[in-house]
Amino acid sequence: MNREWREQVEGIRQRGPIERTLLDEYFDIRYDRREFIRRATVFGLSLSTIAMVLESCGTTNPTPKVGGRLKVGIIPPPAHTIEPHTFADQGALETGSIAGEHLIRTAAGLQLVPELATSWTPNSDASSWTVKLRSQVKFQTGQAMTADDVVATYNRLVDPNSGSQAISAFKGSLSPGGITKVDDLTVKFQLDAPTASFPYLLSSTTYQGIILPANYKLGSFTSTPQTTGAFKITSYTPGVGAKYDRYNDWWGGHAALDGVDVTYYSDAAAADSALIAGTIDLIGQIQLATDRSLFNNPKVQIFSAHGATHRQVPMRVDLNNPLKDSKVRQAIALTLDRPSIVKTLFTSYADIGNDTPWAPVYPSSVGAPDIAQRAQDLTKAKQLMSAAGFANGFSITLTTEQTGEIPQLAQIIQSSVKQIGIDMKLDILTATAYFDGSQTGPPSGWGNTPWLNAPINITDWGHRAVPNVFLTAALETGGVWNAAHYSSPEFDAAAKGFIGAISLSDQKKFSKQAETILLADTPVIFPYFYYYLAAGSKSVKGYYGDPQGNVFLSHTSLG
Amino acid sequence: MLRFLLRRFGLALATLFVLSVLVFAASQLLPGDIGRNVLGPFASPADVQRLDHELGVDRPVYVQYLDWVWKFIHGNLGTSLEYQVPVASLLGPSLINSLKLAAVAFALVVPLSIFGGVFAALRRGRLPDRVITLTGLSFTAVPEFISAIVLILIFGVLLSWLPVTAAYPADADFFTQVYYLLLPGMALVLVLFGYIARMARTGTIDALESDYTRTAFLKGLDTATVIRRHVLRNSLLPTIAVIATQMGYLIGGLVVIEKLFNYNGIGQRIYTAAVNKDFTMLQSGVLVIGLVYLIATLIADILYSLLNPRIRYAAAE
Repeated sequence: MNREWREQVEGIRQRGPIERTLLDEYFDIRYDRREFIRRATVFGLSLSTIAMVLESCGTTNPTPKVGGRLKVGIIPPPAHTIEPHTFADQGALETGSIAGEHLIRTAAGLQLVPELATSWTPNSDASSWTVKLRSQVKFQTGQAMTADDVVATYNRLVDPNSGSQAISAFKGSLSPGGITKVDDLTVKFQLDAPTASFPYLLSSTTYQGIILPANYKLGSFTSTPQTTGAFKITSYTPGVGAKYDRYNDWWGGHAALDGVDVTYYSDAAAADSALIAGTIDLIGQIQLATDRSLFNNPKVQIFSAHGATHRQVPMRVDLNNPLKDSKVRQAIALTLDRPSIVKTLFTSYADIGNDTPWAPVYPSSVGAPDIAQRAQDLTKAKQLMSAAGFANGFSITLTTEQTGEIPQLAQIIQSSVKQIGIDMKLDILTATAYFDGSQTGPPSGWGNTPWLNAPINITDWGHRAVPNVFLTAALETGGVWNAAHYSSPEFDAAAKGFIGAISLSDQKKFSKQAETILLADTPVIFPYFYYYLAAGSKSVKGYYGDPQGNVFLSHTSLG
Repeated sequence: MLRFLLRRFGLALATLFVLSVLVFAASQLLPGDIGRNVLGPFASPADVQRLDHELGVDRPVYVQYLDWVWKFIHGNLGTSLEYQVPVASLLGPSLINSLKLAAVAFALVVPLSIFGGVFAALRRGRLPDRVITLTGLSFTAVPEFISAIVLILIFGVLLSWLPVTAAYPADADFFTQVYYLLLPGMALVLVLFGYIARMARTGTIDALESDYTRTAFLKGLDTATVIRRHVLRNSLLPTIAVIATQMGYLIGGLVVIEKLFNYNGIGQRIYTAAVNKDFTMLQSGVLVIGLVYLIATLIADILYSLLNPRIRYAAAE
């Protein structure tokens, strides 16, 4: 049965990214058959395929092979100390996620799955949330997890003086003093403003929110195993690797793997060849731009997770240059041939963007026909340029970073806007230089960092389970990462309404308002939202990509 | 001889001093505030100022320099700004790894390229000479990130003869370590062979054309004896100098090779420190490489003088 089951499922997975993503989501979060059918039909799977999946999955999943150590490659190494509340880079979050757990897990498909919390209940207007904790959870130090630990963890996350990198996620929702213990297994979160999607902020999407003991000593994460996860970290060498052993008192049972050996790679080609040669079993995150050799390799399986990772092209609305005119910004957006860009840069592993942060993966995204998809229209773009008084074009410099496919995107934009007479120069910096400098945020300004002060730029943004951070940080008046320096009271009101809306219909009402405003103003171009991608050898079973980039291995096995 | 050695040693110390000033000055010129870099972009200016004061980076530059040098001399390389652990605990293993890789590369490339160069010189103008010279130069011209990937693909992926990574297991014995280092060693052979072989070939040809070689032949010595006693001893002198100058590259300049073979060498460690603005790691790392380089050149000088008495006598005069 197992072999037959695997062959059937693998056959369907191999048909394409949509089939693969749907199946991975189905197995990862175990959502019910009805939800699977709904999603499968939305994405256009044939009825025979749906029937085959349901038939083949009608029984329990195959029993994983117990034992063995999974060898994981992480690109690049963590840039700083491994301190969960300060996680800001891919290497650190992947390293932490192997050992750590959150209150809630955001699984593929943006479904919330209980992890260390068993339930989360709002009051009538979602301004206060009561979270029940799982009982019988023990930290790897042996002490029981209680509400005190959760309160301490979240106090650190919202403390502006702790170095927390989750401040931007909680801004406007949760402040110091807002977290209180109700009883040993109950925590209350009193919010600054109603936030219907608050459980997402408590989930693994806020990857800094790994629950640690109340007596956690800063700087001891890698030297003392003290998380609640299925694996405990036993050694860590900066820039080289980390080792983890199975935690036998894990609340979730017995993980299949004996342990995990992480090797850090600075170079994607080195990690790719190591995977193909069998030196490692899994690479935590890959990109089409840098890891093309893995795609279509018969020894490799690609894990994709439908997400909202994207690039933003903000255009300063407050400088005395042509970009100040919304007609010019619209014209630039209209020069882009988005389907072609996606095909060139991501083959089929991305969704087309519509210059709003509502990625197609979000249920609150309105989409066509109510919000039309922006398409290339050079005639209209030229008309807009003429109407703005720039029929002969102008010169501008686009500043960006040497990250992934971004330089290629910059070149595509450069050649696209040339068609309407814009002479665009590119200033491509290293990521370090691009994000260098201060960015203290309003009211004292956006500091001097290039990424928040260049007239037009391209910046990489990670996935979020809900678009709230994109709204509050990148687009709202005074947002800490508002690189366009955009300010619109109408948009602010719509965004605030969206964040507080509880029902999906209310959320869509506000997102439609906000999307309409953004399309008219076009402070930021969102060209695409691409899928999270990981790669593994064919022997890796039970692994599913997390759109945030976390590496969750508690249900993974080697065969 | 002693006077020669003392002069060389004094020169090495002076070079080290200049290097330390240059490294320190260069890291001062790199953009970015250390406190800001550690605390992140959202930290308040007051917090940044407080950390800068704690770290002592708000003191006059010459005070910082003297403090750094004083500690370095006493074996205190400081604390890594990025990882918050002693620099020595990270640089030490990386340096040892680099030395191991350099040793394997040396063991492969030195005999191979000297043999190739001498053999080419003895067959001057004939097919073996042309093949060795052209092949060596061609490999030298190919960037190491190309030749290394080709080697990985052939020997690591297609044939599966050698590991694609140089990072041997923690409990690996001597032979296992060498086994893991063979492929990057071969990549370095491709880079260095042409250059060293060419030097050996030129030196051998010069020696073969010299009067003393002609005399040796005329007095009836057989070819093997002439080459061993008269040719090689003189022809290898410039080759030794060339090999010594490659030490700096082999110890600290293998960033590309270390990246491609995912090897925790000192080159990659320093490169990462520069990218992450880990100034303490960067400064100490560069100085350590400088130290190793100077020791290597000092050893080369000694070898050179042992092989060539004229150097000793000239220095003693």
